[in-house]
Amino acid sequence: MDLTTLGGQLLGIIPLGDIVLYVTTFNLFMSVAALVFTVLIAMSRTEKQVEAQFGTLNDREKKVSKDEFKIRRFLSIICGIATAGAMITGDLFNFTLFVTLIGIVNIGIVSAVKEVDVLDSAFQYGIIAMLATLPLFGGAALILGTTGTLSMLEIVNIPTTAMMLFGSILLFIGVAGESGVAPFFATKAEMFRTAGSPFLVIIHLSSLLVIVRAIEILLIINKPF
Amino acid sequence: MDKLKGVSWIIFIISVFAIIYALIFNPADWIVYAISLVFIPLSVLSLGLISMAQGTKEDEEDKTKEPFIGY
Amino acid sequence: MNLMAEILLNVLIAFFIGSLLFGLQRKVMARIQMRPGPPIIQHLLHTLKFFIKETVFPKTAAMPFYVVITLILMAIWVAAVIIGPVTHGPLLLLFAIFAIHKIVEHNAGSSSGSPYGKLSCVRAVFSAAAELPLFAVLIIIYLKTGTMDLAGIIAYQDAHGALLLSIPLTALMFIVLIISKSYYFSPFNITLAKDIISGFETEHFGTLRGFIMMSESITWYMLVWIFLTVFIGGLSPIGYLIGMVIVTAVIGLINAITPILNPNHSVMAEVTLAFIGIVGSIAMIYI
Repeated sequence: MDLTTLGGQLLGIIPLGDIVLYVTTFNLFMSVAALVFTVLIAMSRTEKQVEAQFGTLNDREKKVSKDEFKIRRFLSIICGIATAGAMITGDLFNFTLFVTLIGIVNIGIVSAVKEVDVLDSAFQYGIIAMLATLPLFGGAALILGTTGTLSMLEIVNIPTTAMMLFGSILLFIGVAGESGVAPFFATKAEMFRTAGSPFLVIIHLSSLLVIVRAIEILLIINKPF
Repeated sequence: MDKLKGVSWIIFIISVFAIIYALIFNPADWIVYAISLVFIPLSVLSLGLISMAQGTKEDEEDKTKEPFIGY
Repeated sequence: MNLMAEILLNVLIAFFIGSLLFGLQRKVMARIQMRPGPPIIQHLLHTLKFFIKETVFPKTAAMPFYVVITLILMAIWVAAVIIGPVTHGPLLLLFAIFAIHKIVEHNAGSSSGSPYGKLSCVRAVFSAAAELPLFAVLIIIYLKTGTMDLAGIIAYQDAHGALLLSIPLTALMFIVLIISKSYYFSPFNITLAKDIISGFETEHFGTLRGFIMMSESITWYMLVWIFLTVFIGGLSPIGYLIGMVIVTAVIGLINAITPILNPNHSVMAEVTLAFIGIVGSIAMIYI
């Protein structure tokens, strides 16, 4: 089996020294989707959330202030670019670095918000993300130790050993903790109850796309056939 | 609303031309995929924005201000 | 036939047949409740009616996301049409399309600023747990057939018989996933549930709502098409039509009978069914 079984045609590789980015139909689709969302976030305004007030018929509007808007937009764009990079990278360590960057920036995007529930959820997510960096990097290190390479284009040709299986399971646990998608960390949903819709969407998008890519990487490392 | 209609007409004409170009000239596969992913949704949406009904001018302010509440 | 013409034709067929299938679902649900129900073309008529009604962009909305997210929804399901009937391409892309569909549900809800949309946005985040069955379905199909390509899966089924018979629990998981995307009163579709009015679609009205409904018709057609192709094999057009009618009717039956679940219970039910399906399928393959 090779990369084309999973992702469709191999459209090309982009060598950047040791780190080789490879592009298949699957990777390209996800990377372009991440970039499209990043561009939209760069030019988007935020919404004003309308909530009812107790005691009167008026509404309360929750807005994002100018400074908060600028810093959150900056962090969202970084998150989007990191996601796009994580989608096409062919180097395992590069992938894990992007995933940790996404985890850190996800916390940063909501930590400027002044709502207690959101900050609580972000804090708990941050702790889990920190804990998950151990299996994440440990898994990648184990695979480097067993196979002698971090390049996915080479790992796909190396027959699977038990250590590679173990390393990839650790890697997946790390990615599950870092990205925090349900069902692995369902309370991350509380982080999304705040204003600032474009910035929240990149948190969700990055987590989901990272999990999808992690499944592909798992299949590359452990070839069932 | 006129600005919206103007922009929709421009987008609709560009989309239809792109789709007709892909139909007639039969370019490479990836170009056809890119054109269909971008211009099919744009053509349908701009067609909708051109053909939609339009309310009176004085109601417009009310509609954009409080569309959710109902009074 | 020209590739672009093929794509356009398939998108049109997907839209029309998807809308008729939704109408059929409503009819089945109504007849179970012992009432006549709307005509089968009613969903199609609703879609077209909304399409020509006025839409306004609320002042509180996050532009351009409020409009562009509807474009993205149609674009990803046109991509699914390209992968499915047109090119029989890689199935793993479907996983990415489902992920982006969740994002669309998220952003369409939160971009308007309305509280109902916000509820749907948060529900979309933890209903991503329902994507777990999809990834398990893909892996199990891969373990069984050795390929993730639709063309390869069709060829495998021509040689070895339908996958529905050899890995039925996987088919069950995929049906759970389809139920979570079905439009009317589905127990698992918590983002579009009636207890939050219309979920993420609430504040997209008029033309934008008609546009979203068109995309959802294409979604339904593609989901049922993929189910039939992956688990029964390449069929003739009449075979597909009969299969789609049967699947839609069965799902209409399920929707009519099950209650609207609390979001947490809904997600837990899906994850439990997924777990049973995964363990059972792996046991059936290897033991």
